[in-house]
Amino acid sequence: MTKNSSSKIKIPSTGSLQLDLGLVMFFVIVIALLVQLIFLGEDFLDGHLRERLKPPGYNGPQGGYHIFGTDQLGRDLFFRVMGGLPWSLGISGVAVICVAVIGTTIGLIGAWYENWIRTTVLLGVSAMIAMPFLVLALVVTALFERGFWTLSLTMGFIAWTAVSRVIYAEARGLLTREYVLAARLFGVSKWSILIFHILPGLRPTILVMAAFFFAVLLIIESALSFLGLGAPLNAPSWGNMLSDSRQYLVIAPWMMLVPAVTIVWSVISLNLIGDGIAELSRKRARAVEV
Amino acid sequence: MTDREEKNNRINVDQDEKEDANLVTASAGDVETIPVAQQTVRTILRRLAELVFLLLFVSTLLFFLLRLTGDPAAILAGETGDQEQLELIRKQYGFDKPLYVQYGVFLMKMLVLDFGTSLANAQDALGLVFERLPTSFTLVLIAFTANLIISIPLGAWLGSRPDRTGRKLGSTGVFILQGIPGYITGLILIQVFSVELRWLPSIGNQGPESWIMPAITLASFQAPQVIRVISANVSEAMREDYIRTARANGAGFNTLLWRHALKNAMLGATALIGAQVSFLIGGSIITEVIFAWPGLGRLLVTSVTTLDFPVVQAAVFVISVFVYLSITATDLAFIFIDPRLRRQRA
Repeated sequence: MTKNSSSKIKIPSTGSLQLDLGLVMFFVIVIALLVQLIFLGEDFLDGHLRERLKPPGYNGPQGGYHIFGTDQLGRDLFFRVMGGLPWSLGISGVAVICVAVIGTTIGLIGAWYENWIRTTVLLGVSAMIAMPFLVLALVVTALFERGFWTLSLTMGFIAWTAVSRVIYAEARGLLTREYVLAARLFGVSKWSILIFHILPGLRPTILVMAAFFFAVLLIIESALSFLGLGAPLNAPSWGNMLSDSRQYLVIAPWMMLVPAVTIVWSVISLNLIGDGIAELSRKRARAVEV
Repeated sequence: MTDREEKNNRINVDQDEKEDANLVTASAGDVETIPVAQQTVRTILRRLAELVFLLLFVSTLLFFLLRLTGDPAAILAGETGDQEQLELIRKQYGFDKPLYVQYGVFLMKMLVLDFGTSLANAQDALGLVFERLPTSFTLVLIAFTANLIISIPLGAWLGSRPDRTGRKLGSTGVFILQGIPGYITGLILIQVFSVELRWLPSIGNQGPESWIMPAITLASFQAPQVIRVISANVSEAMREDYIRTARANGAGFNTLLWRHALKNAMLGATALIGAQVSFLIGGSIITEVIFAWPGLGRLLVTSVTTLDFPVVQAAVFVISVFVYLSITATDLAFIFIDPRLRRQRA
């Protein structure tokens, strides 16, 4: 990491404005998540029916101050959005780890073997990519009980195909490098080459893909909940909140806006991080060439 | 191939196209050319193999998941079914036979496109799907066309001079739009145009004005991404040597942008545009639910929720075939457009 040395007050910077901004935005989310997990828990999720559908800034006689207003059951939207953090981020976070691990492994396997294994991997991956991801996720999640692990693992086991295709292409490029050839000549085993020689070279790609997929999976998770097939009905996931808000668009638009803004905030921060890392690695590659 | 040779080839590509787009035998240097017919057949066969693989994989997955996660006979009987009824249903649908026999029967029936009847109303599952297909197809087609009409010029404009203030603002706007999921766009559109302004109907298919919001919503799922890719490709293409050469030869800025840079930028965006259809179908499910649109997506959501599996299998089948038809069409179109795809690696 390079330090921003031009100004007198040293602000730590990664060298990419997008990445800096994205990290700051993501930092806010992480702080909110910690506050939720450590201090709030599930204590404030219940509502008072007497204070239902109150606008943002409503000062209730008994329930206290509702900065973001309340929903159709009088539940405070600020606390619900906070309560949704572990759901929405947790589900897509677990899913993105699965996606990165499975996608990288399959991509590396396809790149290493030059026989029927590669043919099968390529055929399978391009076939699976064609299937609309949402359709598959929708159909599979419907069969299982709705829950955190069902949803995250289903998404993780379906979404890896695009990652593995990119990893495959990159890894094949790296495999033709001279240092890999040298390692092969020295008799280094194939898994050692893949893990110690190829994988480090793939790090920026994996990070970029992970950031983008985190955002995509966050969107898909909310979409599934929105369709009524994602997180359990009473869970305060952001998709569930959006789904609830549809019937009250006319009288309580804030019910839609509050979860919408949090989803957009998270997605944009992740997109910024992904773009920023991509930009940095491009810059570095150019610097090496010159 | 060295860097310089590759660049020379790109110039040749550009010139080839100018001379004669159909001149198949025109080749650059030592690169071999494959006849269009052969390339076409090869592409179709490859895509067909992928389609068969996909159909087998998905329907097998669904078949076994359905039987492993619960008792299909219990779903059929509903809450009122007693033991006797369950036995009857098992016999009638063949659930009493071993799993591999059931699977074999299922595959054989799929070969002749027999998915059974809907559990909800005993109608033919495939017929139900085909009934809904035209509505969804029209919606996807409108969104796809709108997307291209908006994205290509906008992307080219943003990418042509990316350092100017106006374009920078535009790019930022597109970036923010990319962060807004389609279902939120849909809800905001309803809020603004149906609830506040009362200009457009928010639900159903009631004449041309009811098409506007679903189409915009669906297009918004992908448009920002396409705009960004095209803009990045154009701005990269504008720095290439062949653009400098053309400029030195006295070509105007507009010719440079629309005739030379955009053409090459579009070729780079092929994969994305082909994959569009798949994304759009995924997006159409949500769009149809938001706008209570009587299409395939809503049928799928309803039958998934009620575990109406013959209809789900039929819908997934039809969607896969539909996606593959459009991907193959894109592939073939680009074989004709891009001469580089007709060349074999030397």
